[in-house]
Amino acid sequence: MAVETLSSVPATAPLLARAALTARGRRGSEVPERTLRVEDVRVDRARLAAYQRLTGYDVSDLLPQPYPWVLAFPVQTALMARPDFPVPLPGMVHLENRVTTHRALDAAQPLTLEVTAGALQPHRRGRTLDVRLEARVDDELVWECDSVYLSRGRGTEDASRGEAPPALPEGPVAGVWRLPEGLGREYAGVSGDVNPIHLHPLAARAMGFPRHIAHGMWTYARTLAALGRGSLGPSSSRVWFTKPVFLPSTVELVVQRSGRHVLAGLRSRKDPSTTHVVVTLDD
Amino acid sequence: MPTTRRAAVLGGNRIPFARQFGPYAEASNQDMLTAALEGLVARHGLAGERVGEVVAGAVIKHSRDFNLTREAVLGSSLAADTPAYDIQQACGTGLEATILVANKIALGQAESAIAGGVDSASDAPIVVPERLRRKLLRLNRAKTPAERAKAAAALRPTDLGIQVPAATEPRTGMSMGEHMAITAARWGVTREAQDELALASHQKLAAAYERGFFDDLLTPYLGQTRDQNLRPDTTLEKLGSLRTAFGTGPDATMTAGNSTPLSDGASTVLLGSEEWAAAHGLKPLAFFVDGETAAVDYLGGEEGLLMAPAYAVPRMLARQGLSLQDFDLYEIHEAFAATVLSTMAAWEDEEFCRERLGLDAPLGGIDRAKLNVTGSSLAAGHPFAATGGRIVATLAKLLHEKGSGARGLISICAAGGQGVVAILEAA
Repeated sequence: MAVETLSSVPATAPLLARAALTARGRRGSEVPERTLRVEDVRVDRARLAAYQRLTGYDVSDLLPQPYPWVLAFPVQTALMARPDFPVPLPGMVHLENRVTTHRALDAAQPLTLEVTAGALQPHRRGRTLDVRLEARVDDELVWECDSVYLSRGRGTEDASRGEAPPALPEGPVAGVWRLPEGLGREYAGVSGDVNPIHLHPLAARAMGFPRHIAHGMWTYARTLAALGRGSLGPSSSRVWFTKPVFLPSTVELVVQRSGRHVLAGLRSRKDPSTTHVVVTLDD
Repeated sequence: MPTTRRAAVLGGNRIPFARQFGPYAEASNQDMLTAALEGLVARHGLAGERVGEVVAGAVIKHSRDFNLTREAVLGSSLAADTPAYDIQQACGTGLEATILVANKIALGQAESAIAGGVDSASDAPIVVPERLRRKLLRLNRAKTPAERAKAAAALRPTDLGIQVPAATEPRTGMSMGEHMAITAARWGVTREAQDELALASHQKLAAAYERGFFDDLLTPYLGQTRDQNLRPDTTLEKLGSLRTAFGTGPDATMTAGNSTPLSDGASTVLLGSEEWAAAHGLKPLAFFVDGETAAVDYLGGEEGLLMAPAYAVPRMLARQGLSLQDFDLYEIHEAFAATVLSTMAAWEDEEFCRERLGLDAPLGGIDRAKLNVTGSSLAAGHPFAATGGRIVATLAKLLHEKGSGARGLISICAAGGQGVVAILEAA
């Protein structure tokens, strides 16, 4: 695997623009074997505080479990904007995420981030792409994350469906969240993920969605925050983004704890049979 | 009749104090209180533990923070079935919280408790002018479109504006510093004496950090590991060069250097019965002996706004059969250097002690070598409600270092002409 070290975290906006402009020409099924690496990534405390406030965490020195994903987002974008990358970035949908924190992450510690794209796999609605993120303090692996994205297109009907998420618990509602129309723009502001499907109904419609949708990574972070301090220390969590959350909307949080294992999720307030997000946490 | 027992101070934890609009500008009261509480929980192995109760408060508080302390408990690793409530007694909040929980422990109503306080001068609630507030409420009440139009039409561009809360006495319209300047002049407190006290505060706090005194009393927060206001290198010359901030003419002796800055921070103290402490492998640092509050009528200018502790202390001493000199350590909150100096001057004054306190003889002086030995608010900063917890934890540890039986006095002045004082004794 070729490891390329970037001198610093790149700016996201020009990369996204390049990815959008070059979206049409991308083809092939081979993902180049390449790891992008950035050393000495420092946490901007004001941005972290804004993220913590928007996702329901206390403002503190501890990085929320999904936060290194936010830090690595520009690096991931850089990888996907490369000319030889086979799938177009715009319109890509986040399906799943699995994160393990080995040691509590302190905002004062500079991180080394690595992004590696894995293989393309057939899916019923296109192809999926695996992306692996790793964060190190000095040489110690402190955090790792495997994401699965869907590049929509011609599907393979008999494609393996992967591991299905557990069914949401039936129990009483643990919370009701009213997600405002502008949530996607607010989260874009703190995370740098300015994918148009989150920003405005018109932009989302251009990408084939009826309305704009909440960032999956926001719903994930907000849910973990609601589960307490468990995910701030060594722990593993997993999330399945099963149905998009259109904005604005009202969702219900449901939680089931069994010892150190927590199963939680968001379902539609209007139609509780619609499951938007399923999260598991083990600490 | 319940019998009483001794309540022990088992430890404390705070976050470093920061200056207004400094590194904690983005942090809320709840964020800071949670951070201080979580550090206390971690240090004393209380994760998952149900504590008898947690009592804390903030002086400047958003209306949305009606359950500030309970919310901080829920955000901490304490068991979620730990009850909590908020109190507020201006700068006396933290010490008053300590008195309340110590009394519950003494009465057997609680086995363990946490007292604390927090304040942010940065993340202050913004208040619209009263006239605008009333018009907006009227608009909100309006039911029909006609009513709404009428209510909306009453809004004027000149109604706009925001009011940031200030340390101003509602009934006098004077700032705390202006009040203090009058008292300082009344007691003839000089600029030099104030600057010397401020210098000593910085030097003693810096020395305490150097010897690692705060290592088990403090959790770093948002990159801050020491009190931001601390100036280890300040000198009398530097302090003497500052312009006066309060008072006029020859009476203007108070500066930004010998007054506390507006600050952000939080503190917590763990208390418990001796049995609870033993069961949790914790060693008492000090026992809570007694507490007293007093208030003075400052409205007519008869008495100074911040002089109530001068009245509270002799009442508590009489109850305990102690003299002012029966203490190994004194913690007199440095709201202003002049507060400490005026209070001590009053206790030494024969006329004041006779006429105001009804005593036959003056309380007398205190040994300055025993006063605020690790510095106080002038150096550390003063997030209003957090100061009490800082002082209780600091004094408990200092007394523990001195050895069993050592006695310490705490005196804290508060807005509204109030004062909260207490006695601790080394375990």
